[in-house]
Amino acid sequence: MDMKQTPAEYQNYVNEKSPNSPILKNCFNAFWVGGLICCIGQLIYFYCTYKGLDETSSSTVVSISLVGLSAFLTAINIFNRIGKFAGAGSLIPITGFANSIVSPAMEYKSEGYVMGVGAKMFTVAGPVLVYGISASVILGLIMCIFV
Amino acid sequence: MKKLGLNTLKLDNPANILNTASIVGPKESNGPLAEYFDTCINDEFWGEKTWEKAESKFIKEACNTVLAKAGVSAKDIDYLFAGDLLNQCISSSFGLRESNIPFFGVFGACSTFVEGLILGSVFIDSTACNNILCATSSHFCSAEKQFRFPLELGNQRTPTSQWTVTGAGAAVLNKMGDGPFITHVTPRCYY
Repeated sequence: MDMKQTPAEYQNYVNEKSPNSPILKNCFNAFWVGGLICCIGQLIYFYCTYKGLDETSSSTVVSISLVGLSAFLTAINIFNRIGKFAGAGSLIPITGFANSIVSPAMEYKSEGYVMGVGAKMFTVAGPVLVYGISASVILGLIMCIFV
Repeated sequence: MKKLGLNTLKLDNPANILNTASIVGPKESNGPLAEYFDTCINDEFWGEKTWEKAESKFIKEACNTVLAKAGVSAKDIDYLFAGDLLNQCISSSFGLRESNIPFFGVFGACSTFVEGLILGSVFIDSTACNNILCATSSHFCSAEKQFRFPLELGNQRTPTSQWTVTGAGAAVLNKMGDGPFITHVTPRCYY
């Protein structure tokens, strides 16, 4: 290897040699696992309406169930394995959001319940909450004024 | 000691690396270099309650091992240069405070160990010091926690993503011996 490479040449060399992510395989796994999670949600929804709940309550039950299930799987160290396999398939549905709050809570438990769990619980989900809620406030104001 | 060129120091009294020791965690124990490590530990916690405490134990035991191998007692060490990846170098400062050796905390991420060797060899070159201990540690779990994401987070890694070593290494430098010697040191900015 030539020792007088420029940083750009070196970067090209590294890119050439390093293996790429298996994008097709990842997409396929994300597709079917994500679809499966949505199907489970839909099944819960159908069950609720079958038992006589109205549409809004059924949707709420679906969210609660999936969040609870994902939190439980995170706690018993299974969700991160699903996540490694499925990527965005398990990250994008509400299951990923639950995982992003439960995982720091578990990780920082060793630093205590106030400064650890309490303070660090939202390190991953925090930006989503801040900008998600801010965006909804702005949209709400626009709706209020113009519609 | 003399400065050569832009960044190199030539040492008049080359520091002798008297002995070295290393302790590694499970992933390293199963790797191709396993036979070269002094101790392989198959438990990421090493019996401790947190990863940070485990990392402290790694560096403490690495230092104890190198002192035993070199046949030098802790009170004969003049100064200690050590560091790790955690805030305020807690794993080295907490792990090594019982050794009661004057401690310089070094932070250079990947370069911490060499940084310690550079500073230590310059101290040896001053001829005022007889023995210098250099050590460093890192822990995959504590580094992930500090710099990246919680381990329980279900995210994917690229095939080339780095794994921080779980382990610790230590070396004793002294004035005379059979080598290997540190004759020149070059801290260099690449760009």
